[in-house]
Amino acid sequence: MKERSKEVLPPRTFPWSDTLASGLAVVALALLAGFVSLPLLSLMVWTVSEDSWRAMASPVAVDALLLSVRTTAMTMAVLLLVGTPAAYVLARVDFRGSRVVNTLIDIPVVLPPSAAGIALLLAFGRLGLVGRYLDVFGVTLSFTTAAVVMAEIFVAAPFYVRQAATGFGAVDRTVEEAALVDGASRSAVFFKVTVPLALPALVAGALTAWARALGEFGATVIFAGSFRGITQTIPLAIFAEFQSDIDAAVALSVLVLGFAFVVILAVRYLTARTNGT
Amino acid sequence: MNRQVHLCLLGASMSLIALAGLTGCGQGSSNSGSGGGGEKQRGTLTILAASSLIDAFGELGKTFEKQNEGVTVKQSFESSSTLLTQIRQGAPADVFASAAMEEMNTAVKDGLVAGDPKVFVKNREIIMVPNDNPAGIKEFRDVAKPDVKLVLAQKDVPAADYALQILDKANAEYGASFEKDVLSNVVSRESDVRASVNRVVVGDADATFGYASDYTIDIRDKVKVVPIPPDLNIIATYPIAALEDAKSPELAKKWVELVTSKEGQRVLEKWNFEPAA
Repeated sequence: MKERSKEVLPPRTFPWSDTLASGLAVVALALLAGFVSLPLLSLMVWTVSEDSWRAMASPVAVDALLLSVRTTAMTMAVLLLVGTPAAYVLARVDFRGSRVVNTLIDIPVVLPPSAAGIALLLAFGRLGLVGRYLDVFGVTLSFTTAAVVMAEIFVAAPFYVRQAATGFGAVDRTVEEAALVDGASRSAVFFKVTVPLALPALVAGALTAWARALGEFGATVIFAGSFRGITQTIPLAIFAEFQSDIDAAVALSVLVLGFAFVVILAVRYLTARTNGT
Repeated sequence: MNRQVHLCLLGASMSLIALAGLTGCGQGSSNSGSGGGGEKQRGTLTILAASSLIDAFGELGKTFEKQNEGVTVKQSFESSSTLLTQIRQGAPADVFASAAMEEMNTAVKDGLVAGDPKVFVKNREIIMVPNDNPAGIKEFRDVAKPDVKLVLAQKDVPAADYALQILDKANAEYGASFEKDVLSNVVSRESDVRASVNRVVVGDADATFGYASDYTIDIRDKVKVVPIPPDLNIIATYPIAALEDAKSPELAKKWVELVTSKEGQRVLEKWNFEPAA
């Protein structure tokens, strides 16, 4: 950026302040990078020195990992099926109250997950607003894997829907209209033109939402409870193991760290491609 | 260009303010810390106590602040196993009050405790069920009935350890599969005993093991008690000790004195604890 400004702008009048500012900015970046990498490094160091590799293969860790994979997969299936058309409507249709709905969908992003857990409990718990009627039909959600998926959808949905809506909004309408003029049906245009053009944004949004669902703790522990193989996902297992076996807690954290790393790399790659096209 | 420089300077000055804030905070807390060690009537007393003590110690904390003007009592209530982990990780605290000998003994063995721990109070376990008692639990052995949604505290939490000992004893009386049947009813393991009691308070769980002292005034309209036969029950003993790394050892000593005094025992009995002697 500095070099580009040299070409475009006239000679600088206050070079000292510029140098000072960029120097401080570099220091700031170094501070931030160090602050983020140090704890991650500490996780790695612990893994090398202690025998927590064994803990990664423990039944608790395996059950938690499998449950996390299963619940986040279900979450993503629901999000893709429901969130994609919802995002399309948000991006393309200017209906009455669309602003209200837009804001509503974003609320879980700013709501602390534990508050979301209480809200879900009061709605779908056995004595909750909806839960008391479900209970009559013999449907109980608390302490079930379904409750875990509900908590994950609640907190992760906005991350997907928001990015998907932005992606759809960026698709050039004239391309869609051209396809319509050529005689393609609306649904064919959606699946063959709109979705492929918005795909990088959809995938990036899905990955962010998946990562958010994977990290979900507060809403799950409050709404779904914690039981091995049923509701104890990786974050809950880390919290539980921290009280009895710190090696296992570290092992689980390293597992999640590895996964988060892969997700971030993938998102970076995809967003880079979106910007390119 | 001017605007750019301005923005840079603005950013730089903001990060400077942030830095100043950070160092300021550091100084502030270290000041209050060293102040606590010096004089008797100044400073902060930090107590880590088992979650079952939250009401009784809450009341005693106010008494202590009244008796020692200028002193602030800070308390953190979690399961004794969590607190032990925190102390081992160097959490700054002056007093540890555990709901079981096991955690205290470990703390003593690790050299984390100053002096000898004192048993200051006793407690006994009860079964708690929601007022409408959906699972129809009338006596202790009913918790083994199929389809009872039972909630326990997490592994290694004293309340859960005692519960397991009780089930073990009960096997001799109710038949060898009793413990197995009860444990197969567990739907969630909560972080501490108060969290598991709250599952019954909100009505999602059919039953939980808690202490007599957890049956507090504010939950009596929502929860019913099913006693555990005395010959099967385990008496919980609560030890208390000042910590080796205490910043306010004088205040810590005074707190232990208050808790074991007539007045302290009266408050503990008020909250359904049983006297130590």
